[in-house]
Amino acid sequence: MNIFFRELKANFRSLLIWSGIVLLLVLVGFAKFSAYAGNPELLAILDTMPQAMIQAMSLRAFDLTTVTGFYGVMFAYFALMLSIASVMWGSEFISKEERDKTVEFSLSLPVTRGRLITAKTLAAVVDCIVLLIVTWVGTLMGAATYQPDSEFFGFVALSMLALFILQMIFLAIGVFLGCAMKYYKQANSMAVSILLVTFFLSIISGLNKNLEFLKYFSPFNYFNPLDMLNKSRIDIYFVFLSAGIIAVCMVGAYATYSKRDLYI
Amino acid sequence: MSIIEVNKLTKFYGKARGIENVTFNVDEGEIFGFIGPNGAGKSTTIRLFLGLIHPTGGDAKIFGKDCIQYGPEIRQEIGYLPSEVFYYDRMKVLDLLKYSASFYKKDCTARLHELADIMELDLKRRIDDLSYGNRKKVGIVQGLLHQPKLILLDEPTSGLDPLMQQKFFNLIRQENKRGATIFFSSHILGEVQKMCNRVAIIKDGSIIKIQDIKTLQNENYKKIKITASELDEKRFGVTGVIKLERENGGVSFFYRGDINLIMKLISEQEVSDVTIEEPSLEEIFMHYYE
Repeated sequence: MNIFFRELKANFRSLLIWSGIVLLLVLVGFAKFSAYAGNPELLAILDTMPQAMIQAMSLRAFDLTTVTGFYGVMFAYFALMLSIASVMWGSEFISKEERDKTVEFSLSLPVTRGRLITAKTLAAVVDCIVLLIVTWVGTLMGAATYQPDSEFFGFVALSMLALFILQMIFLAIGVFLGCAMKYYKQANSMAVSILLVTFFLSIISGLNKNLEFLKYFSPFNYFNPLDMLNKSRIDIYFVFLSAGIIAVCMVGAYATYSKRDLYI
Repeated sequence: MSIIEVNKLTKFYGKARGIENVTFNVDEGEIFGFIGPNGAGKSTTIRLFLGLIHPTGGDAKIFGKDCIQYGPEIRQEIGYLPSEVFYYDRMKVLDLLKYSASFYKKDCTARLHELADIMELDLKRRIDDLSYGNRKKVGIVQGLLHQPKLILLDEPTSGLDPLMQQKFFNLIRQENKRGATIFFSSHILGEVQKMCNRVAIIKDGSIIKIQDIKTLQNENYKKIKITASELDEKRFGVTGVIKLERENGGVSFFYRGDINLIMKLISEQEVSDVTIEEPSLEEIFMHYYE
């Protein structure tokens, strides 16, 4: 428990910064929406934008003049933001000990490396949940002035579940990289690279029917906001796939970290 | 009973040599010196003991248990002071020490404050505000607060002023009297000679010699420098003298043997200054390679 609490405390500043970023995103998002709200003419402007971009951001799938539709578009941005935070926390929580050379202290204490991973991962999970709640509350507050209906609240709640699963996938990937990579710099840059590659895969897979299989390689495609809105459910197969990815990453993390030499 | 048993311990970092076929034992209650120049493999050996890195070959046992397999269990009874101390910044000294203490199965509070008093450590300051020497003090308190059975010291005195070094050595002697075994790694021969019963000399990853400290001292060369206006250096051409050199206004040489003999020779001369000192480690090693 001591590792867990120390880690939470040490990461508090980072959590504050990320909360600030997310709230800023909410603020900017709803400021833009105030222009769209009940103003169909503006939609015509969208048609002048490149098709690929519209597809990627699912700009036309939703009715941007309603708060529900607008949130459907914002979902992609939230997904990206929260995933970046998760993957960075995941890799950093482990690798920063080697970066700051504190690992010679923390692992010469009578603890197993497994216990260190467990405590740090749990602390990162708590931070992810807090950031998710900030996103949720921020969204509800931003939307409050536009009289959202019950469909909106249901959609947001479901999308938060999807965001949480996304966070956990990227957290697990980050933890795995932090544990497996011997050089901490590689771990962090690899974590962010994987995230960006999967994000662009998700865009590419949406552009062409032949490339649709790519969506299995990108967690950003697992939970389609359009389905969440129209069918009020998330795809159970992708939940299983996500759980599988998380499990593989965590098993890999414990296995590699216990066996490798620390970089001192 | 052996507290540390090292058997053909080998560590390679890729192709780079860490240590090779290191074998020795440290008995209970001993202060064991581990001496060698930088890069000889001292820290590598200690990190292998702590399970921070894994051996390429051989094994090390502490309290009769394998260092890797029983790592967390044996670390309950190990105190470690690394050569460079790194702690979590943005933490108060007291919080860090309490954090460290929370991992041990005993109450360390009283000992923590006692040690902080001895080392004159301000517990209220933040780690990142501390000077190098003060961080080292935190390291000493942190390494000793759980009254470990085995204390691993890796060049412990760097950064401590002479007064603090003295306090530190007294502390280590007390711990030793209490029953703790000390493994003392250093490149400063003087402090090892002062503290240790036995010493292992490591160079280029291999143990050159393991010896009783008294024997080593007797066998050892002294470095003697004599300043005098008129000096016949041929007078010093006796058995046991090597590297006799004429210097500006005097002579210098290394001497091994009966110290009374050389004192007599010196007293026959009209000298203005004499220094007799321990040779540096490099000079000792030169002797081993002759």
